[in-house]
Amino acid sequence: MSLALRIRALLADALLGAYIGAVVYRIVWGQILGGSPPESVTLAEWLGYAGCAGGFALVGQLARCTPGAWLLWRESMRPWQRTVAQHVVWATVVLTIWTGWSVARVSPVEFFSAKGLESAARLFGALLRPELSILDAALLAMLQTIYIALMATLLGLPPALLLGFLAARNLMRAHPVTFALYAVLRVWINFVRSVEPLIWAVIFSVWVGIGPFAGMLAMLLHTVAALAKLYSEQVESIDPGLVEAVESTGAHPIQVVFYGVVPQVLLPFLAFTIYRWDSNVRMATVIGLVGGGGIGTLLMQYQGLARWQEVGMIVLLIAAVVWVMDYLSARIREMLS
Amino acid sequence: MRAQIELLGVTKRYPNGVEALRNVTVRVYRGEFLAVIGLSGSGKSTLLRCINRLVEPSEGRVYFEGEDVTHLRGEALRRHRQRIGMVFQQFNLIERRSVLENVLVGALGRVPVWRSLLGNFSAELVQEALHNLEIVGLAEKAAEPVRALSGGQKQRVAIARALMQRPQVLLADEPVASLDPATAHSVLRYLEQLNREHGLTIVCSLHFLSLVRRYASRVVALRTGELVFEGAAEEITPERFRHIYGEEAEEVELR
Repeated sequence: MSLALRIRALLADALLGAYIGAVVYRIVWGQILGGSPPESVTLAEWLGYAGCAGGFALVGQLARCTPGAWLLWRESMRPWQRTVAQHVVWATVVLTIWTGWSVARVSPVEFFSAKGLESAARLFGALLRPELSILDAALLAMLQTIYIALMATLLGLPPALLLGFLAARNLMRAHPVTFALYAVLRVWINFVRSVEPLIWAVIFSVWVGIGPFAGMLAMLLHTVAALAKLYSEQVESIDPGLVEAVESTGAHPIQVVFYGVVPQVLLPFLAFTIYRWDSNVRMATVIGLVGGGGIGTLLMQYQGLARWQEVGMIVLLIAAVVWVMDYLSARIREMLS
Repeated sequence: MRAQIELLGVTKRYPNGVEALRNVTVRVYRGEFLAVIGLSGSGKSTLLRCINRLVEPSEGRVYFEGEDVTHLRGEALRRHRQRIGMVFQQFNLIERRSVLENVLVGALGRVPVWRSLLGNFSAELVQEALHNLEIVGLAEKAAEPVRALSGGQKQRVAIARALMQRPQVLLADEPVASLDPATAHSVLRYLEQLNREHGLTIVCSLHFLSLVRRYASRVVALRTGELVFEGAAEEITPERFRHIYGEEAEEVELR
């Protein structure tokens, strides 16, 4: 039996033991049975979890009736050992769903309460009777949103194009220096992409003040990373045959990219860019909610005043514009392919 | 007389450990039509690519016109590649661009980088491209997009592109493997014509022995990266055939 497999089994059992211990103490006892564990995790509690982990792993090794043991002795387990291991898995699944229900404070009672239903009915009723008199103001705000999204897309395009090629493995792997650059860029792209634009908007609003500019910068940054990733994946999936053919003519590496790579990625790049503008419009409405300007900010103002008919007007307008953008960008992308 | 191309004891190991060529020595003489045969994966493509140095040998030496080109880099490597044209099984053309633009790609090595990025080719180069299209019988297709052409026509565009390099040698990597028999002959006849009338040296990997007998002046055979035969096509007896292609093999005729 390999040591690596054994370590993996021990780790699996230990993590499972600690997890079950924590869920039982914090959720089952603490939230469901009305116990009161302290706010912060004390040393004793940490030690308890460590004990659970060690104990469970030990039981797994000695009695061979845990999921970890199943990894190691799948073939030679007795029926009762197999049954116990299976029940441990099922118990963990049930505990996890129970925990999720409890943590999300899912409450059908509140969902169906008479007072709640009444408020919802009032709100939806107002939304369905949109206030048409603010249509012109809403349209102007919507245009602002569309232009913010357009600016983020256009300004993001040149750096994204450059990064798209520099973050393509097949173009960069030949030389150690370029490969190091590729690796750094990949990490940067994945980091920027994994942080939601809304959070970037918060960061930029500290930098340049709350407003459309902060929202635009947030989308710009996210657009550069997202497009660079899409572009580079397109570059990585090209047919190497054409590249080789251009190389074989004795062309300069820059010519190889322009004649061997660019013709293969041009149309997909265009399609990605249009798609990105369309999703930036959707994103801009959300960023507007935290003060990024445009339609989202207008919506938050009316929401703060509890003027639901105006809010209904704005929501309808957002839905209409998003639908039109979605449809147009799909049609353009269809024409390109 | 010294051979135009000399591969001396060439071994190529790829990073994944595969030995595509093992200690292969082949000489190619000026003006000959050399066929390279062998099963798929026997090292034919690698052998061709060691000549124009798309592949760098792990061991051994490659000489071209007496010059050691084994480990050329940068500008010197690009100048070496310019004098050797190459065509491929999959044609490797820019499908959406016109025939003329594709042929002009062959002249990239002679055009300053910034001018080629603007697509700005001189009138002389365009004339030369049209002339090369005439040689392969496609002058009237110059403005059409490549994707509108048939397979045989695409391969002739690829030949015209290679001619734009004003090559001394033309490498052809399975040039007719994805064409039907009639088209295969028409493409090979263009190669034969270039070989006879323009004195172009041709190194061509082929699958069908019938084609080898019809077009090649000499044959080398590879088997799992090793040279197992060198001589005239007529010398490939059934016994030698089995040695090259394995005991199970039977010859398929392509007329």
